[in-house]
Amino acid sequence: MSAVDQNRAASRAAAGGLSLAALAPWIAAIVALALLPLVFSDNSAITIMNQMAITIVFALAYNMLLGQGGMLSFGHAVYMGLGGFFSVHLMNWMEDDLVALPLPLLPIFGGLFGLLFAMLIGSFSTRKAGTVFAMISLGVGELIAACSIIVVAFFGGEEGVSGDRTYGVPVFGIEFIRHVEVYYLTAFWLIVAAALMYLFSRTPVGRMANAVRDNPERAEFVGYSARWVRYVSFCASGFFAGIAGALFAVNYEILTEENLNLATSGTILLVTFLGGVGFFYGPVIGAVVFTLLATVLKLQTELWQLYVGALFVATVMFFPGGLAGLIAIHATPWRLGKLGGLAVPYLKTLLPGVIGLLALCAAAELAFHNREAPAGESTMGLFWMEVDTHSPLTWAVVAVVAVGGLWLANRGAPALKAAWDEATTPSDGGRS
Amino acid sequence: MSLILLNLIDGLVTGLLLFMLSSGLTLIFSMMGVLNFAHASFYMLGAYFAYQISAAIGFWPGLIVAPLIVGVLGALVERYGLRRVHKYGHVPELIFTFGLALLIEEIVKFFWGTAQVPFLKPESLAFPLFHIAGNAVEAYKIFMIFISMAIFIGLLLILTRTRVGLIIQAALSHPQTVETLGHNVPLIFMGVFGVGTALAGLAGVIAGPVLGTFPGMAIVLGSIVFVTIVVGGLGSLWGALAASLLIGWITTFAASYNVGLADILTALGFERPEDLSETIFRDAWTLTLPQIGPILPYLLMVLILVFRPYGLFGKREV
Amino acid sequence: MSAPALELRELRKSFGKTEIIRGVNLAIGRSERHAIIGPNGAGKSTLFNLITGRFPRSSGEILLHGQDIEGLAPYEINRRGLSRSFQITNIFPKMTVFENLRCALLWPQGHRYSFWSLVSKDRALNEGAERILEQINLTERRNLPAGVLSYAEQRALEIGITIAGGADVIMLDEPTAGMSHSETEYIVGLIRDVTKGKTLVMVEHDMSVVFGLADRISVLVYGEIIATGAPEEVRASPKVQEAYLGAAMAAEH
Repeated sequence: MSAVDQNRAASRAAAGGLSLAALAPWIAAIVALALLPLVFSDNSAITIMNQMAITIVFALAYNMLLGQGGMLSFGHAVYMGLGGFFSVHLMNWMEDDLVALPLPLLPIFGGLFGLLFAMLIGSFSTRKAGTVFAMISLGVGELIAACSIIVVAFFGGEEGVSGDRTYGVPVFGIEFIRHVEVYYLTAFWLIVAAALMYLFSRTPVGRMANAVRDNPERAEFVGYSARWVRYVSFCASGFFAGIAGALFAVNYEILTEENLNLATSGTILLVTFLGGVGFFYGPVIGAVVFTLLATVLKLQTELWQLYVGALFVATVMFFPGGLAGLIAIHATPWRLGKLGGLAVPYLKTLLPGVIGLLALCAAAELAFHNREAPAGESTMGLFWMEVDTHSPLTWAVVAVVAVGGLWLANRGAPALKAAWDEATTPSDGGRS
Repeated sequence: MSLILLNLIDGLVTGLLLFMLSSGLTLIFSMMGVLNFAHASFYMLGAYFAYQISAAIGFWPGLIVAPLIVGVLGALVERYGLRRVHKYGHVPELIFTFGLALLIEEIVKFFWGTAQVPFLKPESLAFPLFHIAGNAVEAYKIFMIFISMAIFIGLLLILTRTRVGLIIQAALSHPQTVETLGHNVPLIFMGVFGVGTALAGLAGVIAGPVLGTFPGMAIVLGSIVFVTIVVGGLGSLWGALAASLLIGWITTFAASYNVGLADILTALGFERPEDLSETIFRDAWTLTLPQIGPILPYLLMVLILVFRPYGLFGKREV
Repeated sequence: MSAPALELRELRKSFGKTEIIRGVNLAIGRSERHAIIGPNGAGKSTLFNLITGRFPRSSGEILLHGQDIEGLAPYEINRRGLSRSFQITNIFPKMTVFENLRCALLWPQGHRYSFWSLVSKDRALNEGAERILEQINLTERRNLPAGVLSYAEQRALEIGITIAGGADVIMLDEPTAGMSHSETEYIVGLIRDVTKGKTLVMVEHDMSVVFGLADRISVLVYGEIIATGAPEEVRASPKVQEAYLGAAMAAEH
């Protein structure tokens, strides 16, 4: 496509608004969300999907700050947590007949509660972005997490507060006892929240959030107060985080200090960054991949957090665009029709690389087992095999595979780089 | 009166310990603009390395060797990690150090397990040096004060008497100037990062036997250290010192005076409700100062940010 | 006669003990193209930063359309119809060229902090951005991130952002700094074009640009204006020749 054609198409899209191409991913998502429980119908699968949906909403809200607004928060769990705590209290008031509210409307109130606190705390924390904002968010996060232990009336102290979601005003006779009913409620709010957040990024203040992220000083010289722009984004993010919190409350019916603390705030940063902060859909990928990874790894190994931590550090160092960024850089070879040329070099480099890394993990597992297992127990399951953790043979195999795999990957790297350069250069040598 | 003296000593120990971390953090931040989230993780590594060394050859070699190892590790992290991420900007740098903090905690758990390890103070210092109103003050406590004082004076001398120190000082007040200094800047960065982390490691060695050597020790102290440098004012060493001592004393005193909020409320003329479970302010009537103690630093930080955004001594706006 | 577009009265600025701007008086009329020249370190950029609210002044007055703008933040001054460019390119590097211009139009077109309207739906906004895109000759680069443009293109975009909002006082800080001869010609043509009927204040080192564009010139040396007048007058002034050339020589050695 020539540049002029591209410009025309872009102009049309800009002037005409919603085209079919823009709506397609959303329709696909709605259809997929509607059909998923038919495919994965057992309760544990639905629980995982609910967890995913909640994480997606939270990660998208988080990325309104990090990706769209350039604000790195180490305390965003606070707004989700507060929205959740308030929602549990609302559920309890429903139970005591103090309020009559259909359960599906609960997320609105959770969101408003998150918004309230974001308005309060944002009033001084959004003065600056970057490191300063990060530190303040950390301090405020720790403050509220610590408060949650001592303010028993609202946070329930160590054991948290719990409720029962089934006392809301029934909607079409649904009382939200079954998992799948909760799933559809969660999925509905996932779509609503994601669509609203997407639209927010297309509003004047959403655009200016990008501008302030890129260059706060310049934004001031086109008429906008950088601080106000950050404040509006921050409040909006607090609102959607509160919605995620309400969905959490509906799903788990309990909130504790854990929902507010640094570990939760850190996890959402990890999820969002892993998915990619540069794209709207990045956090969605991050949330899906992370939830699956955590669920699967947790079942398989005690060392899962070590692997996740290593993956995170590697992502920051080598793929700062995250998974979405990795996908996006393949757009050029795809457009040039040269994606196929990458397949063989990828196979030659990545496959041995992955095998080598898995062997390193195996070594870690062996060492860990040797130390932690009860004395005398010297066998363990490793990659569907039963191995003797004390046998030199096991260690030798692991070492050979690790070194060999990484060596092969390293040897293949120049070829991959050459193939990559080839695939991203147009054949005619002209500019695209 | 003697309780006050005792608390002054305890608060001084805590404050100086905080300063060993916050000074390194401030130096690194001022020079490189990087807030090292993993700073307290190096403190933890110091404690664990010293534990391992003390198990083999004793406490005293560990006191020297563990911080050196930590410093070298820190320098390597700067050289091969931070410098790589630097080109993406300060926010990714911060995310990198955050990831590093997570990873170091997991690595520590991998090697030493999740439980506390028995890292003990040297027997030669585990005796009561003197008594204040029947309370023993252990020699180790005084040793901690001396070590941190020595570090502080050493740092002061380096900063004011040496060439490198002068460059670093210049960087504290005029960060841009460093960029024009020429080719040795990366080396200075690596050095400052190494020294800063080594200081954190040393703090870990002397604090490990007292505060406990366990995988959560970095998180516990880490966020307080961040609060300290915000309260003191970013980029100000004197601010870091003042804030460290202030927070050390506040938390120590809060922990030892069992004043209930209820007493204060009664003194102010409020009446205690008959049935506490009925009122939403019931927590206000049961809280005590030791309970609130741990959150006071955070409260202090929020107040500082609202009323004095430069921090206590800072020149740059927080 | 109505108030001048921009007027400085006894403006002073000190950094610590050093006084950088030492009592500047200057009145710039409406639709005037005014250039400020002077040797390095004379305080030209500081003067710019004082007028645009980037630094607080030490004393004196700055009047924009006859009103004092003391204590106003940069964005408030911008809203009163003063727009500036920067010596070091200052754009939104990760956003597309089109988005850069659209953002510059948002406030002037009254969108404020709106989160209830979509930018894509506003015809005037998008057409306005397209028009400026054409004016600065970057239509071909429309959808590229601004950060990947060539230096001259970024300078053009910088000027585009500056003029986009329709401010009537435009301040350009060394618009041709670091440009080749042909790039300079292009930018000068562009400036002449887009500032028609507006008040232009610029700092510039390139004398051919200054004498080609400016109606009047002020010479700033060591924080004081030693001469103001039409280009020929200033060029002929022995005081200027002595002070400016002497100082310029000193600054270069």
